[in-house]
Amino acid sequence: MTVTRVAESRTEFKLKSLPDDAISSVKFAPKSNQFLLVSSWDCSVRLYDVTSNTERHKYNHELPVLDVCFRDAVHTYSGGLDQTLKMYDLNASMETTLGEHKGAIRCVEFASEVNAVLTGSWDGTVKMWDSRVPNCVGTYNQGNERVYTMSIVGEKFVVGTSGRKIFVWDVRNMGHVNQRRESSLKYQTRCIRVFPNKQGYVLSSIEGRVAVEYLDSNPEVQKKKYAFKCHRIKDGGLEKIYPVNAISFHSVYNTFATGGSDGYVNIWDGFNKKRLCQFHRYNTAVSSLSFSHDGSALAIACSQLDETQIEDPKPEDTIYIRYVTDQETKPK
Amino acid sequence: MGRKKKKASKPWCWYCNREFDDEKILIQHQKAKHFKCHICHKKLYTGPGLSIHCMQVHKEAIDKVPNSLPNRSNIEIEIYGMEGIPPEDMKEHEKQKSGGGKGDEDSDDDEPAAKKKATPALLGPGPSQVTQGILPTPMGPVPPGMYPGHMQMQMMPPFMQAPRMMMPGMRPLFPAASMPPTSTSKPTFPAYSMYSGSNTTTTYYSNATISAPPTTTTPSSSSEHKENGEVKPPAANACPLVTATGAGSKIIHPPEDVSLEEIRARSAKYRAKPKADAPAAQPQPAPAMITPSTSQAEVAAHMNAAVAAARQQQAAAALRRGVLNSMGGMGSMGGMGSMGAMGGMVGMLPPQGMVPRVPVPHVPVSVPQMPPVVPMLPVMPQFNLVRQLQPGMLLPGGMMPMGAMFPSGMVMQPRYR
Repeated sequence: MTVTRVAESRTEFKLKSLPDDAISSVKFAPKSNQFLLVSSWDCSVRLYDVTSNTERHKYNHELPVLDVCFRDAVHTYSGGLDQTLKMYDLNASMETTLGEHKGAIRCVEFASEVNAVLTGSWDGTVKMWDSRVPNCVGTYNQGNERVYTMSIVGEKFVVGTSGRKIFVWDVRNMGHVNQRRESSLKYQTRCIRVFPNKQGYVLSSIEGRVAVEYLDSNPEVQKKKYAFKCHRIKDGGLEKIYPVNAISFHSVYNTFATGGSDGYVNIWDGFNKKRLCQFHRYNTAVSSLSFSHDGSALAIACSQLDETQIEDPKPEDTIYIRYVTDQETKPK
Repeated sequence: MGRKKKKASKPWCWYCNREFDDEKILIQHQKAKHFKCHICHKKLYTGPGLSIHCMQVHKEAIDKVPNSLPNRSNIEIEIYGMEGIPPEDMKEHEKQKSGGGKGDEDSDDDEPAAKKKATPALLGPGPSQVTQGILPTPMGPVPPGMYPGHMQMQMMPPFMQAPRMMMPGMRPLFPAASMPPTSTSKPTFPAYSMYSGSNTTTTYYSNATISAPPTTTTPSSSSEHKENGEVKPPAANACPLVTATGAGSKIIHPPEDVSLEEIRARSAKYRAKPKADAPAAQPQPAPAMITPSTSQAEVAAHMNAAVAAARQQQAAAALRRGVLNSMGGMGSMGGMGSMGAMGGMVGMLPPQGMVPRVPVPHVPVSVPQMPPVVPMLPVMPQFNLVRQLQPGMLLPGGMMPMGAMFPSGMVMQPRYR
């Protein structure tokens, strides 16, 4: 699967014509590992062709964009601080505003199961939108907590909010929330991703820790849940604990990558509780990760998110595309 | 006793003194325990192999063999299975073997047996234990000077046993020193005691030699860590803070328990144009934009923007008084207007862009008129964090808070440290 690569390295290279500000989200297209969608704090949404390493499309929001997603190869959705949800047609290069939230839109996901777009906002709600026309199908309160992260696989829809709350929904029936949970981690929820097999989800917190949890509330199944520490660096006598900003599942092997503010990317086998590998340290915090649909490529967005005092000079915002090997991603 | 002979020839691991039934297993063990790269988990064949791999592939120097006993951590020695073990160590091992094996019936039992014995001993030296301890079997064969702790212990009267027994559980700093006691409890060979101790030792030494953390931990061990102790868990509502976990660690995150994105979104740069928020909260962002570093010109721009924002807000308030709950529409409208203002601010020539948009006419711009906004504030739950910080200051809205917000800007700086 390793495509012959130009540039710096056989396995990893940097994208060109990158956004001018921090990268908030990267997403590979649903059916190809050629296209990568990128949202940024420079208010732009860009589409890259990673095979030729070129920027193919770009459109702007009024304010920084916090998340993007694909519906299919030619339609994308984006939302951010300007509170508006935009749809973009890549073929027609045309943007449509689908609607607004009362707060910044933090997460945008496409629910193929019901052909709808879901947006999570700091206004404490999730909205569901008709994926074609500006029509809000429903607004779902998330306990009045600000939505920090969302993930959907099939009908399983998990929302993580401030106050360490977790809401589990079924997108086919948004009439009521299926489960309300409190995070098993003691610190702020940073990212949640549902297993490709829909059995559970992986959750990360700002305190260098990742939990593997199961949706089935049967006590036998719940026994399998666990958490582990990662993304920590011993610096002399002091252990620095970094937020785990990003998680992305390898859809074929059910393994997952985590990216932390320490600049490391680790790949884990969640079922066997093993770390499969750790890549070299990137120049700054890893803000977003995305495996391509076949798991052959991993997009790694590196942007400082002001975790600490602003560094001077500010580290460069970059996106790496890494062609991963089975050795790195397949359970042993 | 037929087993005794077999054992003397059993393959053993030079790095951790563990014995194996088969050299193949020994080699597997060595690859998994001692020759595995902690970064990519590649299994190498020898210590020097591992060191070269780490140097060449990861640019990291490894000075000790992972999971090895302290005196056997030399990475330079090339050992593969039983090959390459220094002759003197080989001889010594044989000696311990033959010496210890004599007259000890349960020498085959390993760790579990040792533990079983150890536990009752803690409760108090029963007669059986005493005799056990007295059995001075291995005295002879133990190389003098090699295990001074061991020797000393052996000389102690039996009643001293109990305290000795506790040591293995205590994970002492120097496992080597602690190991002999294990063996006195059950006078076997040091090799065995080392083996039984190696479980605790391995984890210990893995920390010393490997920089990477253990890949996974069980929930219990993960929650056990420093975690909280004296730390209060972030309260859901009361101005939450991310508190450090303990003296030895530091969470690299701003102290406020708010997502990095929210904190970043407060920055003047992004806040500028927007109202990441409905109209009621508008006056807040404007003042907050001003950072101590802002230049005179910028301040002027801010002032203008703030005035404009105040106007809008008043207009909005006026409208609201008429049309109750038209919040949504107003929100977007106010947002647009303010966007103009903020956009200008970013470009440093703010007001012109927005002024025309603002529905000024019927609302005079004056601070006293601000109060109508106040009741609106609670409407925006998502901004309670901002407000909590200085609830009083925000109330006046408009220009007033600009001054008032200055200190807050300054206060916020240190929090990033």
